[in-house]
Amino acid sequence: MAEYTPGYAGTVTKYVFIESPSMTPGELALRAYEASEGVLIKETCFGLQVTGEADAVDRLIKVIRSIDPDHIFVKDRGFPPGDSRRCRANLGGARPGYLGHEREFRLLRYISRGLEELERGEGEEPEPVPPGHEKRPKLDIKRLQDLINLEEP
Amino acid sequence: MSRKVRIAQLSCGSEYSGVQNEIYRAAEAVDAEVFFPDIALADVERAVDAFGLDVRSADLKLMIGRGMALVEGKVDADAVFIGTCFRCAEAAIVRNELRRYIHENSRLPVVSYSFTERTTAGTLLTRMEALTTIARRRALLAREAQTGITMGIDSGSSTTKAAVMKDNEIIGTGWLPTTEVIKSAEGVVAQALEMAGLVREDIQAIGTTGYGRFLVGRHFGADLVQEELTVNSKGAVYLADHQRGASTVIDIGGMDNKAISVIDGIPGTFTMGGICAGASGRFLEMTAKRLGVDITELGPLAMKGLSKNVPMNSYCIVFGTQSLVNALAAGSSREDVAAAACHSVAEQVFEQQLQEIDIKEPVIMVGGTSLIEGLVHAMGDLLQVKVVVPPHSQYIGAVGSALLASGFIEGE
Amino acid sequence: MAKVFIYPATSLILSDLVARFGHKPLGAALGIRERIQTAGVDSPPLQITPEEPKRGLKYAAVEVPSGVRGRMAIYGPLIEEAEAAIIVNDADLAFGCMGCARTNELILFTLRQSGIPILELDYPGDEEEGVRFVAAVRKFLDGLPEEVEA
Repeated sequence: MAEYTPGYAGTVTKYVFIESPSMTPGELALRAYEASEGVLIKETCFGLQVTGEADAVDRLIKVIRSIDPDHIFVKDRGFPPGDSRRCRANLGGARPGYLGHEREFRLLRYISRGLEELERGEGEEPEPVPPGHEKRPKLDIKRLQDLINLEEP
Repeated sequence: MSRKVRIAQLSCGSEYSGVQNEIYRAAEAVDAEVFFPDIALADVERAVDAFGLDVRSADLKLMIGRGMALVEGKVDADAVFIGTCFRCAEAAIVRNELRRYIHENSRLPVVSYSFTERTTAGTLLTRMEALTTIARRRALLAREAQTGITMGIDSGSSTTKAAVMKDNEIIGTGWLPTTEVIKSAEGVVAQALEMAGLVREDIQAIGTTGYGRFLVGRHFGADLVQEELTVNSKGAVYLADHQRGASTVIDIGGMDNKAISVIDGIPGTFTMGGICAGASGRFLEMTAKRLGVDITELGPLAMKGLSKNVPMNSYCIVFGTQSLVNALAAGSSREDVAAAACHSVAEQVFEQQLQEIDIKEPVIMVGGTSLIEGLVHAMGDLLQVKVVVPPHSQYIGAVGSALLASGFIEGE
Repeated sequence: MAKVFIYPATSLILSDLVARFGHKPLGAALGIRERIQTAGVDSPPLQITPEEPKRGLKYAAVEVPSGVRGRMAIYGPLIEEAEAAIIVNDADLAFGCMGCARTNELILFTLRQSGIPILELDYPGDEEEGVRFVAAVRKFLDGLPEEVEA
């Protein structure tokens, strides 16, 4: 059994996704570098990955979020950036998590819309009804009987 | 050094069972690399609709998407490894249907396996080796006739066999129980050479197979050291004179069983079982011992009995033997007990392994257990086919090795 | 700041909203990070060794597939730590750590059994649902204790 010695021990890595018509990951990276304080920043196709000591990462994330709060989304990552165990080149394909991101990436514009609305109507919105709780009512038995009668010659 | 064989992995649960590294290690040991076919989310969604198997688990959907990408040629691979968690019904359905789909719609060799956290690289090694052999040595496996003077040695877990062949004829054989691997091999080689009337120097090429293949191969300076899945498939269709078209090879061994779906002499899909000794030749050996007969007499004895007269409540080698002992104590005939033992082994292989491959006739039974008439009969009953047992079937590995080894005389 | 288990545990949207509104999201990444950053026996890719399915026996019996038990070894402790949970019920295409339907059923059951406050909803399918989704998450999170900081 081979021994395992972790790299990047004690650090935190976060994904930063940008879903904006007005800013590219490259532009976001440039703005992030200015506030990096030694936090490692890696540009990706969807945004950035930032790695460093937890407090420093949190401070940087605060700055990054403020650049475009409604279009920047942040999530924890288990692996450090560029880890060969998750690298597409080594796996022969994307790790499964990437497809999960793809699934949610499609929905980010709705979330952005929700965040914009929240800012606009702060404090005065009606009681929110979460989506997904509407159950389709079952057909009334009398109504079913009527339908059957209609079908009969 | 040849290019690494690329094995596409279609799986669910291997990383979380802690066995992904074992899969990597097994592949590495046979100079292959495992990879995951790269597809997009839209491919998964489309594939799940097109395949028509509506499962809940997303990783199984991903398996289906990746499998279809392989069949459609969007992703290149040399072979396919399908693995899911043992005891997961949803995954078992996907594993089996995907295996069948790939087998029927492509030329890719496929092996499927259900793992637990106890699965090790060692368990997977023979399967991975077979996959890489099929991918890498198609030309060698296409050989249909033996040439020159060659010898094959099959170092099995229970017995060691040797065969000497000359100009497509078997001219010498040897057979001994495996005690010390090298010593048993030397013994059978001496027997086979003596029968052939030859000496070691006359042999132009040597092939080895079976559990002890590496050790024996090194000892004799073998030209070909090959796992038993490909060798036995080759040997079976050669001895049964059915080298073209589809066939099914069943080999119930001393320690594990092989069921191989063969096309043109090359394994397409195969399974290997080895978790339970109750489904092996070992159980029949124990039964013979308990009945006080030689293993060679068990088959004829079983043919005279009726298996249904003896209640067998367990497939386990311990509890199964106990059932037989109880039956004898309760007055069952030795014939019925012998038949019940044969039926139990056949049924277990049928239920646990033959479900994982597609049975195409001829069904060829090979290996030492194929000489146990009662077992062959029970298998034929279960499958509802006439099972073929070719001549020299007990020397299958040795003959297959000798046949393939002749490819090395001409410098292949 | 409350610890909020997110389901799917790999969700970008939930992870973001929980942190954005001042709480700590508990998701798969934390469990994986812990393993990746702990020295021990080499077991790529996730540093989940065959010992993990055995640890998972605390949450599921031995006849439950090893992959379920291995995953539960990651999620079980996170669920025990959670003070609230947000569940997206139509997360049908969450792969990898969330790729096993049987594990997911067990996670949801365990969460519902735990007695912690839970918000259940579906992914938004349009902008109007997006607005309701974000508002509902915000309201739920606002109702949780915030001892540390908002």
